[in-house]
Amino acid sequence: MKTKVDDINRNIYDIKNADNYDFKIQKGLSRKIVEEISKQKNDPDWMREIRLKALEMYQKLELPTWGPDLSELKMDDIATYVKPKTELNSSWDDVPEDIKNTFDKLGIPEAEKKSLAGVGAQYDSEVVYHSIKQDLLKQGVIYTDMETAVREYPEIVKEHFMKCVPINDHKFVALHAAVWSGGSFVYVPKGVKVDIPLQSYFRLNSPESGQFEHTLIIVDEGASLHFIEGCSAPKYNKVNLHAGCVELYVKDGAYLRYSTIENWSKNMMNLNTKKAIVGKDAQIDWVTGSFGSKVSMLYPMSILNGDNAKTEYTGITFAGKGQNLDTGFKVIHNGKNTSSLVNSKSISKDGGSCTYRALVRIAENAKNSKCSVSCESLMLDDISRSDTIPVNDIRTDEVTFSHEAKIGKISDKEIFYLMSRGLSEEDAKAMIVRGFAYPISKELPVEYAVEMNNLINLELEGSIG
Amino acid sequence: MNIKVNETPIRTSRNFGINNIKLTDIKIPKNSKIFKSIEITNVKESSNDVISKKLTYGNGEILEKNVSENANHKVKIETKNSKDLIKIIYDFDDENTELINEIEIIGNKDANVIIEYKSNTDKKCFHNGIIRTIVNEGCKLNVAIVNMLNSESNNFEAMENELFKDSKLKYTIIDLGGKTSVTNYYSNILGENSNNDLKTIYLGKENEIKDLNYIAEVRGEKANIDIDVQGALGENCKKNFKGTIDFKKGCKKAKGDENEFCLLLSDTARSIALPMLLCTEDDVEGNHSTASGKVDSKSLFYIMSRGLSYKEAVKLIVKSNFNKIIERIKDEEIKEEILKEIDRRLN
Repeated sequence: MKTKVDDINRNIYDIKNADNYDFKIQKGLSRKIVEEISKQKNDPDWMREIRLKALEMYQKLELPTWGPDLSELKMDDIATYVKPKTELNSSWDDVPEDIKNTFDKLGIPEAEKKSLAGVGAQYDSEVVYHSIKQDLLKQGVIYTDMETAVREYPEIVKEHFMKCVPINDHKFVALHAAVWSGGSFVYVPKGVKVDIPLQSYFRLNSPESGQFEHTLIIVDEGASLHFIEGCSAPKYNKVNLHAGCVELYVKDGAYLRYSTIENWSKNMMNLNTKKAIVGKDAQIDWVTGSFGSKVSMLYPMSILNGDNAKTEYTGITFAGKGQNLDTGFKVIHNGKNTSSLVNSKSISKDGGSCTYRALVRIAENAKNSKCSVSCESLMLDDISRSDTIPVNDIRTDEVTFSHEAKIGKISDKEIFYLMSRGLSEEDAKAMIVRGFAYPISKELPVEYAVEMNNLINLELEGSIG
Repeated sequence: MNIKVNETPIRTSRNFGINNIKLTDIKIPKNSKIFKSIEITNVKESSNDVISKKLTYGNGEILEKNVSENANHKVKIETKNSKDLIKIIYDFDDENTELINEIEIIGNKDANVIIEYKSNTDKKCFHNGIIRTIVNEGCKLNVAIVNMLNSESNNFEAMENELFKDSKLKYTIIDLGGKTSVTNYYSNILGENSNNDLKTIYLGKENEIKDLNYIAEVRGEKANIDIDVQGALGENCKKNFKGTIDFKKGCKKAKGDENEFCLLLSDTARSIALPMLLCTEDDVEGNHSTASGKVDSKSLFYIMSRGLSYKEAVKLIVKSNFNKIIERIKDEEIKEEILKEIDRRLN
């Protein structure tokens, strides 16, 4: 018999602070609102123009005709800019107590001390803390909030901002470009290897609001970086919106590993866009864990432009009650001898819905390219849903392409075996689920792997048996 | 006229260009004269009183309406004797270039049915048909559809099946002909222990378009669906394969497998595949796999070292991929015709 918990206590993630803000823009979206955000942020003219052009594009573009139902999202009920009561700080001591407490509980300052080379922390629409180790600064590494980057490195930003992800990519990209605020900018100069990861954490506290952070990372020729992104929010009764944008440029011979643990609250519409342009002999690896949000539409994309470019995607999605997580991966092979390896897993339970939606395109010139896709879905009950919708578009003959997927429940034989070794049925199932997720969790930084296992335990608690 | 065909059960982004594809300059005939060049074998009782209920998916509204309003041949077959091989051969010639047909097959006894479309003319032919099959309880039915129309023709076929308890439907589609060939296959696998085994070969060349949309909805407990598609594409041919296995709630212990392999014989051929698994029942096993690639160089080397030319070696490899599916055709003469047609198309 199944015992069910209606809503899981997501402990630290659900802690709400009072909605104290310095400035919260009126709800909705209009030219006036976009101009006000631009004014608040003291944008240069070129950025203001991008915002207004994007707003026009947003009004022209339709909602996607495919994917999850977005009818609950009412832009008129969303405040697109919330400025917390603090400026950007470089010491945690200067961050207001309530905000600092939140990040303390999420373990960010602790992780910074132990295992990170730099940290950015965003609270609602603004980055409240940013730091980077001195030795990286000396090597010319730039790690700062996007607003500072717009002011201090306008030429680099102008060259790359909304170029990898054009503003007409889809409606929520246009929305993002019109109202973006916060996010991180990273530049790793030629040949510099950043051995310890940088991490940005995004926290949305304010109800009925949106977070639209912009992450722009340029890893120059021969350089390498591991960037970690975490996100969470407490749960409110009304819909919140996250429409961030991540633009990654991995230049010739460079390496970037982009890890994400997404744990938005279950009232969040997570309509995020992530793309990477990968140069000759370069590589990007994505490691993604999607646990939170009410609705997610998230399909990171690697564009392998350079010859011999590589990409790997390792992702897990876990959908529980009331969640519709539509995730996947897109890869475009343009260069010769390019390769991609995709390993995706999903778990759905308690009426949750997981969809793996993907695109592999091997273009005419991508001779001798290779692509291998593996996708597994586990269903923990018969009220959940799991779909696999991959598009494979092969435009040349000199390729090796394979895709395989499987769907099913936990094997009775495996449960029987573990129970015969003395485990309870619940423990046996939890162990199998953790084993199913292991190939993904082992790719995560240790702290995140622990967090993911905790999340799995939290999600499974009381819901199977 | 321009038409849109073959919509999948789940929508995809328009940018992918795979769902609901647009075909231009398709001339859809109306008021065609009765198609007379037909050979029907081993059908003791047939009638033209076919059920014309609306298709669940089909090839789109325009083509379905064309059949319901303009069919120039209808046949309903109820299988009664398991030993007979039922054949319906539509032999297009200079006088019979347009066929709009409806076929209904009711499987009461085990039977083999072959339906063949071939061209004995260089004229552009048009075929738009619907085949509805019901496989009643405990019955086994083998159905084979062979499309060998000439390279100028347009071929549209929508197949819809219902499978009841303990029934078995073995379906074979040989899709060789047509400048444009669009097939829609829908199976409603209703019965407990019912089994649908679908195997297809396609071969495209020049600027041909192949659009295959296969949908299996699994509803019966312990039901089974197995889809295996083997194809080869030459020159500038474009192929879309959309395969959906949809496990509906309640189909406990059901199994579904879907496999597509596309051999690319040219660097300008284009192969798009959308193999979907949809699932609202946990106690099932579903697998799909797709693969594309060129002819294996080691096999080519081995065969050519035995004295065969490159072209002969490629032919041999393509035919060896197709062979296990061609072997399912129960008629030696038609099997020969298929092998000859493959040879001809690969020259």
